[in-house]
Amino acid sequence: MLSSYLTMAAILFCIGLYGALVKRNAVIILLSIELMLNAVNLNLVAFSKYGVVPSLTGQMFTLFSIAVAAAEAAVGIAVLIALFRARGTVNVDEYDEMRR
Amino acid sequence: MDTSFSQVAWLIPLFPFVAFLLLLAFGRGQRTLGVLLGSISSFAGLVLSILVLIEHMSDGTKYYQYSFKWLDFDGLTMNAGYEVTNLTALMLVVVTLVSFLVNVYSAGYMKGDERISVFYSYVALFSFSMLGLVLADNMLTLYIFWELVGVCSFLLVGFWFSKPEAKAAAKKAFIVTRIGDAGLLLGILLLYWYMPDHALDFVHIGNVFDGQTGIIAASVTTWIAILIFVGAVGKSGQFPLHVWLPDAMEGPTPISALIHAATMVAAGVYLVARTFDIFQASQTAMDVVAYIGGFTAIFAATIGVAQNDIKRILAYSTVSQLGYMMMALGLGSMTGGIFHLFTHAFFKALLFLGAGSVIHAVHTQNIQEMGGLSAKMKITTWTFGIGTLALSGIPPFSGFWSKDMILNTALHEKPVLFAVGVAAAFFTAFYMSRLFFLVFMGKPKGEQHAHESPASMTIPLIILAVLAAASGFIQTPWNNTLGTWLTDGAEKEHGGAGIVMVISAAVGLLGLYLGWLVFVKGTIARDAISSRAPWLVRLLERKYYMDEIYEALLVRPLRGLGYLLNAIDEYIVDGLVQLVSGTAVWFGRGGTRVQNGQIQTYGVVTVLGLIVLLVALVGRRFW
Amino acid sequence: MFNVNFTGEFVAFFIFSVLIISGAVLMVSFTKVVHMVVSLAAVFIGIAGMFVLLQAEFLAFVQVLIYAGAVSILMIFGIMMTKHQDAEADRSRPLHETLTAIGALALFGILFYAIRQSEFPEPEQPLSQATDNTMEIGKLLFTNYVVPFELVSVLLTVAFIGAIVLAKKEAD
Repeated sequence: MLSSYLTMAAILFCIGLYGALVKRNAVIILLSIELMLNAVNLNLVAFSKYGVVPSLTGQMFTLFSIAVAAAEAAVGIAVLIALFRARGTVNVDEYDEMRR
Repeated sequence: MDTSFSQVAWLIPLFPFVAFLLLLAFGRGQRTLGVLLGSISSFAGLVLSILVLIEHMSDGTKYYQYSFKWLDFDGLTMNAGYEVTNLTALMLVVVTLVSFLVNVYSAGYMKGDERISVFYSYVALFSFSMLGLVLADNMLTLYIFWELVGVCSFLLVGFWFSKPEAKAAAKKAFIVTRIGDAGLLLGILLLYWYMPDHALDFVHIGNVFDGQTGIIAASVTTWIAILIFVGAVGKSGQFPLHVWLPDAMEGPTPISALIHAATMVAAGVYLVARTFDIFQASQTAMDVVAYIGGFTAIFAATIGVAQNDIKRILAYSTVSQLGYMMMALGLGSMTGGIFHLFTHAFFKALLFLGAGSVIHAVHTQNIQEMGGLSAKMKITTWTFGIGTLALSGIPPFSGFWSKDMILNTALHEKPVLFAVGVAAAFFTAFYMSRLFFLVFMGKPKGEQHAHESPASMTIPLIILAVLAAASGFIQTPWNNTLGTWLTDGAEKEHGGAGIVMVISAAVGLLGLYLGWLVFVKGTIARDAISSRAPWLVRLLERKYYMDEIYEALLVRPLRGLGYLLNAIDEYIVDGLVQLVSGTAVWFGRGGTRVQNGQIQTYGVVTVLGLIVLLVALVGRRFW
Repeated sequence: MFNVNFTGEFVAFFIFSVLIISGAVLMVSFTKVVHMVVSLAAVFIGIAGMFVLLQAEFLAFVQVLIYAGAVSILMIFGIMMTKHQDAEADRSRPLHETLTAIGALALFGILFYAIRQSEFPEPEQPLSQATDNTMEIGKLLFTNYVVPFELVSVLLTVAFIGAIVLAKKEAD
């Protein structure tokens, strides 16, 4: 059963990765990153039940991960709004300051 | 005499050089500094030169030479030094005297020019180069100063470089004389190759060639002599390299005087005189020198008849007189050549400075637009008249004696050249009378506010007039002072031939009379020739189409070759270069495409890189 | 390898995985931003269901509360506060998308291969079902993990203050 969860997480992770790299809208990219984080959480919880030594530690880890993800989402959205104010767009392909 | 003036002769070129350096350093914006420094330094040089000459006139010191080791490669030693012979001493005086008078004269002539101190620094450098050339004790040092003289003439001919004609003339002077310089360099290299011990100083050269000992094969001697003569042809404006000299008239008039009388063109004659031993060792070379000189003399004299620019007439006259000098040298009479150089320096400088005075007064160079200046410019008229008489070879002025000596030699050596010389003398007298009468006699033409030039310009004229009138008496058929002094009496004397003197004077007078008839009295119509043979006049006006011939024969093919080479350079060489650089640029473009600042592109590349890494790590299992 | 028993857990897992995958794929393929967020909320709920299957009831609750609730709402706020072209993909980047798809698929292939190849031994003692999951987590939080817990609280505070500072208008 464990491998099914892991496969499920892998699928989710890859879809998130694809979305993060292809979508132009910065909000969607943030969403895709949440998707990837969720895939990781799923892995952690699956191991906490089906791992060699089942324990609650995996769930604790997930809990912290969720907290950090929430903080990341909040800060990410704030940065996005500030950027939008400065540049008038949320399309990441128009944020090319790194080239200059 | 313990310390002689000859021992400090090296100071003479140093005076103008110091003046040049000072002007270079402090001259900017100064107006009077140039006049002062130029005149003082050249006067100091003149005084020292006269002292050296006096010393050489007395019997005590005949000769002084000093040289030091300059370059010492493996098996190759170059010396540099200076040498004072009688010839050198004479040339020093001529050069410093003319240069001093030109300096004084320029104070008036160049007064309005804002680059006057630059002008004076060039003149000082010019004097320095020429004096260095005169004092040089070996061919290499001479060649260095020879090139310096060329550079200075380039700078001075192109002094008014904002005029396109002056620019072109400067370039022409430089390039044409360069052809001659290349010949001279080849001659020096040949000499260096064949001389025992590779010695290049004039003492050794004299010893080797004078004895006719056969150390150097006759054909090689001829080649060396002819190559050196090519250098002299370039500098002294002999046919066929004379084309630059009339164009050099674009420079300021005092410079024309300096170039034509004492420095640039005299260098060629001086070179031949200095290496006279080589020439004397080869009869072929002597003949070449004599015939080219003779041909140039008549060739340039005929052109002079048809010119209208006052300075161009004088320029062709210079070419013609230089032909005389070369002819004399080629006929074996070094005394004649140097004597004519000596007298010519004075009356040609006088004529040019007089012409400058005229131009200064009427602001034109076309003699058809002048006339009747004798009333307003007394001093200029009188001095110019003396110069004209001297150049035309009227006794007792200096030109008569030197020309007479050359013709006398020609009559004894090569009668053909005697005839040529006489004809050239006739044309010389004719065009000089034409020039003189058109400019100073007749009625004034147009609105002219002619006035006499300032004293700084007329005093040099008077000094030169005196010299032009009197300097001929140092060497007359009855008085061989100069010849004995210059050559130690080694030269063959031809004695006084009364018939030559009569012919020479008669031809000169005939030329003047004809000019008077045509241009003053009007007995013979001015268009007597041009109406009957217009082609002849046009031929002369166009200077025998020499420029056009060069244009067609040399310039065009060379330019075509240049275009061809340019095309090769542009399309083949550049193509290769651009291929290389294009590849680099192409790689760079690719690099910038990757480095596009798009975070997502970086992400993709990272993911792909991770996969490659994983495949490489995991995939090892399978192979 | 695929000889799975049709237990209740498997059926539930199947249902949730369909929900998650379809939600994720729809999120990627939708063109309107709001639709994307809604489909993402479905994914979050599916994952919460999986947490329940994995006997992590507290986490499932937290997942619904924070992700399906707070984060989705936050994203909707973000969408509302910024301007969007409804129809995306005005400039398509075929090369970029193809390369990304290849990369994602290849990564999945490698992961899948690794998962299939790995041996997962049976757990020595299964996670005890007896005790209350939430109680256990609470105990752990305030014993073993008290320092990280406090640090997370600091992190969240800093994050929220930072978010306010960043999003605040500079003009006032």
